[in-house]
Amino acid sequence: MHASADTIYSSHYVIFDADICTGCANCIKACPTKAIRLYNDNPTCLTDNCIRCGECLRVCPTGAISTTTYELEALQKDKVSITLVSPVLYSQFKGVMPNDILLAVKKIGFHHVMDLSYYIEMFLYAAEEYIAENRTTGQSPWPLISPVCPVVIRLIAYQFPNLLPHLMPIMRPISLLAKEARANISREYRIKKDAVILYHLTPCPAKTVPSRSSFAQENSLVDRTMGIKDVYAQIIGRLNQMKKTGIEALREESEPQKISGNCLLWGLSGGEIAGINSDKTLAVSGLRETITYLEKIELGLFKDIEYIEFRTCPEGCVGGALNAVDKYIAKNTVLKMLRKFGLERLIPRDKVLLLYENGWGLSDTTQDELQRIFGVYKEHISIEHLNEIEKILEQIQGKDCAACGAPDCRTFAEDVVMGKAVLNDCILLRKREIDKILENK
Amino acid sequence: MTAFIKSFSIKKRDFVRAGEASINVQNILKSLNMDHKLIRRIAICGYEGEMNAVMHGGDGILTVEIDTGRIILDIADNGDGIENIELAMQKGYSTATEEHREMGFGAGMGLPNMKVNSDMLSVESEKGKGTHLHMEFYVSTD
Ligand SMILES: Nc1ncnc2c1ncn2[C@@H]1O[C@H](COP(=O)(O)OP(=O)(O)OP(=O)(O)O)[C@@H](O)[C@H]1O
Ligand code: SF4
Ligand code: SF4
Ligand SMILES: [Mg+2]
Repeated sequence: MHASADTIYSSHYVIFDADICTGCANCIKACPTKAIRLYNDNPTCLTDNCIRCGECLRVCPTGAISTTTYELEALQKDKVSITLVSPVLYSQFKGVMPNDILLAVKKIGFHHVMDLSYYIEMFLYAAEEYIAENRTTGQSPWPLISPVCPVVIRLIAYQFPNLLPHLMPIMRPISLLAKEARANISREYRIKKDAVILYHLTPCPAKTVPSRSSFAQENSLVDRTMGIKDVYAQIIGRLNQMKKTGIEALREESEPQKISGNCLLWGLSGGEIAGINSDKTLAVSGLRETITYLEKIELGLFKDIEYIEFRTCPEGCVGGALNAVDKYIAKNTVLKMLRKFGLERLIPRDKVLLLYENGWGLSDTTQDELQRIFGVYKEHISIEHLNEIEKILEQIQGKDCAACGAPDCRTFAEDVVMGKAVLNDCILLRKREIDKILENK
Repeated sequence: MTAFIKSFSIKKRDFVRAGEASINVQNILKSLNMDHKLIRRIAICGYEGEMNAVMHGGDGILTVEIDTGRIILDIADNGDGIENIELAMQKGYSTATEEHREMGFGAGMGLPNMKVNSDMLSVESEKGKGTHLHMEFYVSTD
């Protein structure tokens, strides 16, 4: 971000640099909730409608859109700092072993780094158990929807509230790890829980801002998030240093962790259902596809499917907007590494089941709470408004050119009716007016 | 106050676009901030009716009429019509082809579903002339 403060039009999540913005309207068209407008040459985001999917970051050709992630300068001040690492990180360095990457991250200045493998397995066991239980109890409607991708949860609460009962009420792995890590470290160092600062190193565009709520399923319980691309150069630097020193000599500094194939797969679309022992599963990735499938589920389709994994980023989390490396290259790296790691599980099933039976891992966020936090759908529009909108649309006879600064003619008409835009901003109408004047001359 | 009325075309055997009319109706209802359970009932009815026209009927039109207390769905097609309406209304009755079944249709649950999810359903059909479904949904005011 190099712009001066007054050229930045910011919301909680997306920050626009009006100096760099060329007005191409790519982001306006890409936003799934139609949250972006470019009226009077000022790109703005309607914060209430933003589900933090990162799609606008991805499609902006000039880099005029950014999102805040945490700056590392303050690291020294932390009493105990711990980084919880998304397994997608391992896909960003071809030919480097995960534990060496973890050591490089630690050397940036963290007290500990932690991998997610165990918690991914626990999540998978718990998910299998919930699915099996649901076959007899029918407590949730089929298909169950994966609670892993936060954008999907927001999308559902915001636009598909009917589907909230489909969300599997299991806490996602990062939340499980965060909860345990904070408790364990505070015990070990004999410090208060809030003196433990949890960082999360992630490719996920949806996790960069402290969440609007403290509810477990929504908030992953971490204090600060860092985008992978923001520390990528530093990690490469540390890896190069390590190569000079000789990685072997450094091994004792590291806290080697058991890393499983399931964990590596986690970042790819389909990686979650690959680990779940049900045949009736689907994996869907990409924002448009996700929306299409949610629409279909809402119409009553896919009742014969037990579990659907949705990832709104293309190809899954390897396509996360905060990654440093191309998603297909990252995918290749994962698939090659898998040959070394295999898909065996690290923890025995019985151990997890015992915990599960005691209610461990179940999400304590109720549907009502999710609905209350995210359940607003735009502004209230009345039937008269609908009729007015229709009239304006007939007048415009447009083709969703977006030159007015709204994503499509309907949204523009809506804004006009709600007093947020003026009809004269439509270039088609203006052109027709000019034509008329010329004709009459 | 005038009600809001809008129509969408339905194309015979166009399985790619099938469902679009219902999704459009659903999105309009959502923008009105209507009770989401009511929206779901309307969407399910719209979808079942639309699919029947696409699959068994012919080209058609889906019309939604939105008033403060009431929403009406009219789905009319110019297909072959329904031979025996009473039979067609029964759960499990279906003349769906093998091809339809492969796509996941043909449980014979469409019309019964519409009956359950609407507050009023009338089916008019004449052999060779087509089918007209009329459904009403009432907005409770409590
Ligand atoms: N618009 C229509 N035109 C002609 N025949 C129809 C029409 N709608 C329904 N039918 C007849 O009524 C039968 C029952 O319809 P219904 O929607 O209940 O079940 P289905 O379409 O066969 O299966 P499902 O809806 O469960 O996929 C159909 O199989 C068909 O023979
Ligand atoms: S992050 Fe997603 S929802 Fe938010 S403004 Fe960008 S595209 Fe729209
Ligand atoms: S697909 Fe993965 S990286 Fe992308 S928003 Fe969802 S959880 Fe985050
Ligand atoms: Mg049917």
